[in-house]
Amino acid sequence: MSTLITWLRDPNPASRMQSRLGQSYLSWLRLRRNALAMIGLTISLALIFIAIFAPILAPHDPITQELSRRLLPPGTPGNVLGTDDFGRDILSRILYGSRITLYIVMLVILTAPVVGLIIGTVAGYFGGWVDTVLMRITDIFLAFPKLILALALVAVLGPGMVNAVLAIALTSWPPYARVARAETLTVRNSDYIAAVKLQGAGPIRIIWGHVIPMCLPSVIIRVTLDMAGVILTAAGLGFLGLGVQPPLPEWGLMISAGRKFLFEQWWVATMPGLAIFIVSLGFNLLGDGLRDVLDPKSASK
Amino acid sequence: MLIEIENLSVTFTAHGRQVRAVENVSLNVKAQESFGLVGESGSGKSTILRAICGLAPISGGSIRINGKPITHNRAFSRQVQMVFQDPYASLHPRHTLDRTLSEPLAIHGLPLTDAAITKALTDVGLPPNFRFRYPHQLSGGQRQRVAIARALMLQPEILLLDEPTSALDASVQAETLNLLSRLRAERGLTFLMVSHDLAVIDHMCDRILVMQHGRAVEELTRDALATAQMKTEYARSLFAASADRMLEG
Amino acid sequence: MSLLSVKNLRVTFDTEAGRVEAVRGVSFDLGRERLGIVGESGSGKTMTGRSVLRLIRPPGKIEADEMTFDGIDLMRASETEMRSLRGPRIAMVMQDPKYSLNPVMKVGAQLTEGLRQRDKLSKPAAYAKAIDALNAVQIRDPARVMEAYPHELSGGMGQRVMIAMMLIPNPDLLIADEPTSALDVTVQAEVLSILDNLVKTRGMGLIFISHDLRLVARFCDRVLVMYKGKVVEELAAKDLMHAKHPYTQGLLNCLPRIGGTRQPLPSLDRDASWAL
Repeated sequence: MSTLITWLRDPNPASRMQSRLGQSYLSWLRLRRNALAMIGLTISLALIFIAIFAPILAPHDPITQELSRRLLPPGTPGNVLGTDDFGRDILSRILYGSRITLYIVMLVILTAPVVGLIIGTVAGYFGGWVDTVLMRITDIFLAFPKLILALALVAVLGPGMVNAVLAIALTSWPPYARVARAETLTVRNSDYIAAVKLQGAGPIRIIWGHVIPMCLPSVIIRVTLDMAGVILTAAGLGFLGLGVQPPLPEWGLMISAGRKFLFEQWWVATMPGLAIFIVSLGFNLLGDGLRDVLDPKSASK
Repeated sequence: MLIEIENLSVTFTAHGRQVRAVENVSLNVKAQESFGLVGESGSGKSTILRAICGLAPISGGSIRINGKPITHNRAFSRQVQMVFQDPYASLHPRHTLDRTLSEPLAIHGLPLTDAAITKALTDVGLPPNFRFRYPHQLSGGQRQRVAIARALMLQPEILLLDEPTSALDASVQAETLNLLSRLRAERGLTFLMVSHDLAVIDHMCDRILVMQHGRAVEELTRDALATAQMKTEYARSLFAASADRMLEG
Repeated sequence: MSLLSVKNLRVTFDTEAGRVEAVRGVSFDLGRERLGIVGESGSGKTMTGRSVLRLIRPPGKIEADEMTFDGIDLMRASETEMRSLRGPRIAMVMQDPKYSLNPVMKVGAQLTEGLRQRDKLSKPAAYAKAIDALNAVQIRDPARVMEAYPHELSGGMGQRVMIAMMLIPNPDLLIADEPTSALDVTVQAEVLSILDNLVKTRGMGLIFISHDLRLVARFCDRVLVMYKGKVVEELAAKDLMHAKHPYTQGLLNCLPRIGGTRQPLPSLDRDASWAL
């Protein structure tokens, strides 16, 4: 272990890999100092762990109905968090539901920031009419409330998980484009970009190799802070019946189903609500911590 | 003449207002000569270098290299390279030295070998094991050495030096100037150097153009400067205020 | 009695890359005189200046056996007491006026703010005092400068405004951290002579921090030469040419001179023992 640490902290790394790992190690040390960020990281890792091992962790099947055991309160032997109106174990449904949540989150992470980054950096780098056109498109998307736009898209595409993800991704890229453009504008006139231009590099190489690495940290921070919003939008669509379809155990859908018994059997809606709350909080804390570690303004000093 | 600049004017447009940064400046630099531009901030000296590189808008006059009007293509970048003033701003903060130095080779499709990078580092007096460091792990002087190494990767004839040592400590400045002189002698480079420090320019350059408010004030040879034979008042006041004079005064 | 007395000052930073000692046991006494602190970047000269005002950001820590200003123990003083010292009694001028002036406030408002709030002066009285201060730093058209925003001023003008602002409360000690490095040589001389005059006429103590040995020698009474967080040599400014420490000598010799030879400049061979 100690040899590994000396290897990581070697001021003269022998390879690209070692130097990159060494830098990551320093970032990790900085992140570790922030207790709240570590709580956020633990929650996010727990979500991934639970999603992977849901079949092992869950005591019951999340879909099989058992009407004789419907609406049992939390603490009932065999159903720690109680059962819903079809007698399904709420704990198992929440555990399986983490898979859907994670799936949605992952798909959105893989699409919206990428689109936003490309549009933002291209607009910022070229400026002029390219910037005007791309940013007005961005403004149009920003002008609609997120959920309303997502609703409209799902209404056109039809309900379902993939369409919900698509709708969320299409509504969440504009902020990333804005962030990336702002960052690009500060980077664009720097000497190191002038130097690489002078070496004869074309715009694609400059944007991809030199501008995007500088925008990435702020976008990553923004993504982790937005994760909570994505989960909530997905849950919102589920709640309105436009996202994931029953009987799949999606958290928003579960809240929607529990709404009917909110006053008599509060746990049906509250338990998945708590799950959404904890996971959103986790991503937010992690995002705050990452801001301190990755922010180029603080890291460059 | 290797570099011929004739009646060069550079005009920036900012918020609808036009600012003439350089007005009707002409200068010629012979091959393997070292030419200095000296002046205070706002004199337009750096703007001339940026205009040569296509980083500032030329509004009048012409720049020719080897008798041909310049075009900013890849051939140009193999002929002319630049070292910037601030070594903290001119290296990409998220690229290792290895990446910074191999980038020019990659752009031009030249063979990218370990030996080339190692040699580039040792040529500017940096140990080869610095190769995978990031700029923030280096001191200012070491960064400026990397910037010089990067500028030389494409083996240009002309090196434009924009205040290459003004952000550095005195002892590091001495080392960097020595390095530049050595590289010029070894490779037969042509320098066009900008500085606000008359002593530095005097140490490095054969001929000097004094600039003020975007205009050329006076061209001096090194001997004329050493014997304080200036014709204009401004050049004289610059000479008098130069840090070098302060101790005797 | 000396105005400021510092004994065995240490400034340490605990970072994830390890413990960094920026200042390692610096001691000096200052009367109503001009003390120069010279060193290259990383020598700890700026940190020394800032420690006197306890302006070191965490994770930096200040330790000292003694640090007293005019009988006040700066190590024990509460944050409130420090705040009442900063400005009225100990002022600081930084390198670049661009970062020390509030960009969205007119110069006049910034100059009169302290007078109005701290000294409870009426608006016209504060205005008159501010105009006086601008006159004192030889600004020709003070009324126009009062109405200007910082970005409308040139570097030299901005630095004069900074100095004027610092001098309004009539401090006993002025810490000037590279006050002229961002300025052109011809402007530099003017700003220095203004500072010089003010120190002489008001009888202030001055700590002048700079990387430029010759400038400090010309301008100060006494010079501390710092290297890697330590004072390697202390000498009267007029004896600078006879400096004994090889580091001081090296710093003097490595500058190019007009009309000098084209030989490589003497480089400074750093001896590991200097840092011990």
